[in-house]
Amino acid sequence: MTSAAAVPRLLFERPTCLIDRATHYCPGCGHGIVHRLIAELVDELALADRTIAVAPVGCAVLAYDYLAFDWVEAPHGRAPAVATGIRRVRPEAFVLTYQGDGDLAAIGTAEIVHAAARGERITAVFVNNGVYGMTGGQMAPTTLLGQHTTSTPTGRDPVLAGFPLPITEMLALVPGSDYVARGSLVDPGAIGKLKAMLRRAFEVQLGGGRFSLVEVLATCPVGWGMTPQEAVDHLSVVAETYPLGVIVDRTKGIGRGGTPGPSREA
Amino acid sequence: MSVAPIIGVRGDRPGGARGPIAASPPGATNAAISATPFVPLAIAIDHCKGCGLCVAACPPGVLALETLAVNRLGYHPVRLVDAAGCTSCVRCARVCPDAVFTIWARPREA
Amino acid sequence: MPQTVERPARLVESERTQRAPAARTARARTRVLMKGNEAIAEAAIQAGCDAYFGYPITPQAELLEWMARRMPEEGRAFVQAESEIAAIAMGLGAAATGARVMVSSSGPGISLMAEGMSYLAGSEVPLVLVNIMRGGPGLGSIGPAQGDYFQATRGHGHGDYRVPVLAPSSIEEAVALVADAFEIAERYRTPVILLADGLIGQAMEPVRPSFRALPRTTTDWTVGGAAGRPPRTVRSLHLEPEELEVHNQHLQEKYREIERTETRWAGEALDDAEVAVVAYGTAARVARTAIERVRADGLAAGLFRPISLWPFPATALRARAPRLRAILVVELSAGQMIDDVRLAVEGRVPVFFHGRTGGMVPSPGAVAGELARAWALTEPRPAPDEVGQASRTVGRAGARATPAGVSPGSWGAAASPDATQHDVDEAVWRERHAPMKDATR
Repeated sequence: MTSAAAVPRLLFERPTCLIDRATHYCPGCGHGIVHRLIAELVDELALADRTIAVAPVGCAVLAYDYLAFDWVEAPHGRAPAVATGIRRVRPEAFVLTYQGDGDLAAIGTAEIVHAAARGERITAVFVNNGVYGMTGGQMAPTTLLGQHTTSTPTGRDPVLAGFPLPITEMLALVPGSDYVARGSLVDPGAIGKLKAMLRRAFEVQLGGGRFSLVEVLATCPVGWGMTPQEAVDHLSVVAETYPLGVIVDRTKGIGRGGTPGPSREA
Repeated sequence: MSVAPIIGVRGDRPGGARGPIAASPPGATNAAISATPFVPLAIAIDHCKGCGLCVAACPPGVLALETLAVNRLGYHPVRLVDAAGCTSCVRCARVCPDAVFTIWARPREA
Repeated sequence: MPQTVERPARLVESERTQRAPAARTARARTRVLMKGNEAIAEAAIQAGCDAYFGYPITPQAELLEWMARRMPEEGRAFVQAESEIAAIAMGLGAAATGARVMVSSSGPGISLMAEGMSYLAGSEVPLVLVNIMRGGPGLGSIGPAQGDYFQATRGHGHGDYRVPVLAPSSIEEAVALVADAFEIAERYRTPVILLADGLIGQAMEPVRPSFRALPRTTTDWTVGGAAGRPPRTVRSLHLEPEELEVHNQHLQEKYREIERTETRWAGEALDDAEVAVVAYGTAARVARTAIERVRADGLAAGLFRPISLWPFPATALRARAPRLRAILVVELSAGQMIDDVRLAVEGRVPVFFHGRTGGMVPSPGAVAGELARAWALTEPRPAPDEVGQASRTVGRAGARATPAGVSPGSWGAAASPDATQHDVDEAVWRERHAPMKDATR
C-alpha cells in the first residue's frame, strides 16, 4: 500500500496548447522556448479559447502549426496592423503578435510604432536573434556591430550598415505603450524572469491596458555559426547592447514620462 | 550495452505520452514495483534535437547525449544517465526548446 | 459575429454627436444630393460594413472622412492607418474574423496594397477595396483617370489570382454596386475592387437612397477564438508545391464560377448600331453624350458599357461584333481596356481608340469626331435580320446569356449549367465559323 505522499508530484510537462509534434526549428533555436512559454501562459491564464494570434514572416511563420489557437498569417512586418484590425472588431479576444527582428524592426517598423502610438490593446512578442534566420542568416536591424552575417561577411561596419536599432527603447517612449520589457534565454533563471515579463504583458492586455511588448534576446545557432550552448552564452554579449529589464511599465509608474527610466530587473 | 542505431518511437509509453520511460509509472502500489528506483523525468526522444542545452544546464550533470543512437529526426537524443542524481530542479525543461521533458518531484522517504 | 461592437472608452470620449443629415433625410426624401465618395461610404455603412481602414489621399479623402464621422456613430470600427500598407493589413485582420470590411484609396496607395490584396486572394478573405482613380503614373495628378485598369483586372499583386472589378458610371450606380461588391466578396471569399474615378468620387449627383442592407453570412473558416471547435488558421502559405497547386486549382475553379455568374454589362442603343463605343465609368457618360450628337446627324452609334471589368463581358461583346462596322474604345488612359476589347472581338471588327491621360477627361465633341472618323474609315455591314431587343438591356450572367444571332439549340456543352467561359466561347466560335452558313443572322 502506498500513501498519498509517495505519489510523485508532477513538476513540469508539455503545455496543453503546445501541439505535440517535432518542430522545424534548428537545434537550440530560441523560438522553441518562447513558443513553450507562451503556451504555458495561455494554459495558466485559460486564454486558448479567446486567443487570436498573428504569425510573422520568418522562421516562425509556421507558429500556427505548434500553438493550438486561432491564427492569422500577416504579410511581412504587418502583424501589428493585422492585430489592430482584429482588435477593433473583436473587443473580447486576446490578441498577440509574434514577430522576429526583421518583421518588427525593419519592414514592420511603421506598423509596430503606430500600433504603440494608438495604444492598441495587443501584446507583441518580439523574438530578437540578431539575424534573418529563415532566409539564410543575413543582417537584421538588431545585428551587433562587428557581427558576421551572410550580408555583412566581414562584420557589421557602422559606416556601411549603420548601428543596431534600439527599437524597443524607442517604443517605450511612445505614450501608448503601457508595458515594454526585454528578457533573455541566457540561462534558466533568465527564462523564468522572461516568463514573468510575458505574464505581466498578458495581464496588462487582459486588464484593459494599452500596448505591451516583450522582447526576447534569443539564439540562432545556425545563423551565428555557433553550437547551441555557445549561442546561449553569446546572449550575455548581446545584452550589453540590448540591456535586460523592464523598460517602461506605465501601469506601475516605471519609466513614466518622456524618457524611459533606467533598465531594472523585472 | 548493445549499439542501437535507431531508437523506436518512445511516445507510446504506458499511461500515454506522459508516463516515464522507465518501467514503473509513478504512484505504483505494487510492492515489487515500489522497489524499482524512481525515475524523475521522461524524455520525448523523437522530439529531441540533441542541442545539448539541457546537458549544460543540469547542475548535477546527470544528462548526456547519446553517442551512437539516433532518433527518428536523425539527432542524438538526450538520456538520463543517473536517475538517482537528478534533483528535479526542472532547469533542463526550462532551457529545452523542444519541450521533451516531463518532470516529477522525488517522493520523500517515509 | 457580434452585431454591435463594444466601443472602448477612449472612442466614446472623442465621439462626435452630429448626425449625418444626408443619411437621415435620405430615408425621407426621394432623392438626395450626395458627393460620390460620401455616397459610396454611406452605402457601405448601410450594407453592414463593420470596419473601415484607410489613409488620406486625393481624390477619395471624403470617403475616409465620412467613415471617420459615421462609423463611431454606428458603433463600428474606423482607423486612419499609418499607411495604405497598414490599412490593407488591418482589413485582412478584421475580415479574417468575419467582419465586413471596406478599404479605400487611389493610385499610389492602391499600388502599396498589392501585397495585401495578394494575401487576401490567397487566403480567400472577403473585402471591398475602393479605388478612386487619379492621374498617373507615379504621383501623377489628382484629376480623374482610368489608368489603373490593368492593375485592377490583371491581379495587381503577385501570383495567380483574379479580383472581381465593378465599375460604376454614376454615383447612383456606385451606391448599388457597393452592396453587390460585398455580396460577391462574401459569396466567393474574395477581395473585390470597386473601380471609380476622381470625377465620380468628387461630383455631387442626386442619389435615390436605396441603400441595400445585406444579411450576415455564416462562415466555417473565420477566426475568433477557438472556443468549442478546433483552432483555425487564415493563411496563404502552402509550402508543399503539390498542396499549393491544389489550392491554385481551387482558386481557378472559383474564378471560372465567378465568370459564369457575375459578368455585368449594359447596352444602350445597340440594336441598330453600326458603330459601338465601348467605355466604362466616366468615359461612358461622355460617350453617351457623343452618341446622342452623332445620332442626331444620322450616324447609328450605340454604347456597350462593361460594368464588371473582370470578368470582362467578352462573350456579349463578341456576339455583337459581327453586326458592327467599327468599335470605338474611349478611356481616360492611354488604352488599357482596349486590350480586352481586341481580345474579345478577335479581329472581326476594327477597333479604334480615343483616350486622354493625365487627369484630362475626353470631351463629347472629340468622341463624336472619332465616331465620325471610324464611320468614314470603315465599310458598312450587312443589316441583321433578327428582331431587335429593348434598347436598354442589362446582362447579368453574360457568359450564359444567348448572344444575338446564335441559335440556342446549337450550343451543346455551352448550354449546360456547368458551362465554362471556354465552352461558351467555343460554341460562339463554332457558330461564327460554321461552313456554308449565311453570315447574316
